[in-house]
Amino acid sequence: MSEHENKSAGEVHHELHSHLPPEPALRVKAMESLLVEKGMLDTDTVDAWIEVYAEKVGPKSGARIVAKAWVDPAFREQLLENGTQAVKELDDAGWAVAHLKVIENTPHLHNLVVCTLCSCYPHAILGPPPNWYKMAAYRSRAVRDPRGVLDEFGVRLADDIELLVWDSTSELRYLVLPERPGGTEGWDEEKLASIVTRNSMIGTQRDLSLDEGAS
Amino acid sequence: MDGIHDLGGKQGFGRVDVDEPEEAFHSDWEARAYGIVRAMKKAPDWTLDKFRFTREQIEPADYLTRPYYDQWLQSYAALMVGAGVASVEEIASGHAKTGPASLGPAPDPVSVAAEQKQAGVTFARPGSAPAFSVGDKVLTKPHAHGGHTRLPSYIRGHIGEIAHVRGAFIFPDDSAAGIERAEPLYTVAFKASDIWPGEGLSHMVLLDLWESYLDLA
Repeated sequence: MSEHENKSAGEVHHELHSHLPPEPALRVKAMESLLVEKGMLDTDTVDAWIEVYAEKVGPKSGARIVAKAWVDPAFREQLLENGTQAVKELDDAGWAVAHLKVIENTPHLHNLVVCTLCSCYPHAILGPPPNWYKMAAYRSRAVRDPRGVLDEFGVRLADDIELLVWDSTSELRYLVLPERPGGTEGWDEEKLASIVTRNSMIGTQRDLSLDEGAS
Repeated sequence: MDGIHDLGGKQGFGRVDVDEPEEAFHSDWEARAYGIVRAMKKAPDWTLDKFRFTREQIEPADYLTRPYYDQWLQSYAALMVGAGVASVEEIASGHAKTGPASLGPAPDPVSVAAEQKQAGVTFARPGSAPAFSVGDKVLTKPHAHGGHTRLPSYIRGHIGEIAHVRGAFIFPDDSAAGIERAEPLYTVAFKASDIWPGEGLSHMVLLDLWESYLDLA
């Protein structure tokens, strides 16, 4: 067994801090070659995961779910009732998270999602979270000064709009269902999905712009 | 643990970087680190909560300043050292001094598609019936303990209202210590003005909290 068996994780981190090269790229390279030598990693599998998250999984998956909820009332109802089951039944089943909770914005209500303790986020539907979602400024302020945070994102929330901030402290994963903007009557799902942004599904955007869909 | 990770409500961190480019990865090393973490063979006693607890114990200055995926990798490195799978020297040099870890074969590329086909890993487990109902007023525990917990410090000792009863889920405080036990989970709504009075706040904060974090108020 290791000589580090009885050390706390904090002590091990201290040693790693002292001995590892400071540049992240060098650390990654060393870790990858060691894991391969240890028989714990297949580099082709690394490539496959990168391809999935760089090209396939991302906010477009979430946008499709939102667009479908806008045009299909039965799907919307099921999505709000049991998000995991509703998404599982879409044709690209598998992009689901096990415990998806969809929270709906209305003209009188706005939802904002944060993880103050780490970075919980519906990766399988939105891709990897943005850095700001994982950093101290957002995590500390979203629960205490959400209107100030929203203001920095350009969202001026009227005083009479109720604001709910969801701190993702468990394995439940929250996805905001933004409001369908006016002027999109008759649009098909694909065109509707094209105007749904990542931030609108986190809650750091409220009003969607029609520009992208019109182009 | 009352660590640096417990950031809710802390002040002084400045503005949010709202101009960050919207892309999955900002550099090759970020993508590589993400891929490695998803692809690597984990020790049999690995749990998400154990990983989280390990990350929480990164040196506070590193936690606030080192890049996110770099912290992921360092946490996996620490887990490997703790499990006796690798030494700090091996991790620093990138070369094995001892033979392969006997953890079984590394996941192959085919596993990626298979894992994507699953609807995610479930954390729900059979457990006791919930003690609280929607509408009940509950008081959160005033303090935590030195291990991993999902009861943030900003919400301790406050009264909230049960908004949803979610079923029984793996209890993270035990899971981080290698014990799998389920407890009823609730979404509890708190008035921000109760947590931070005198700041003119009108919003609600909702947290997912396990039964043993709560008492009937």
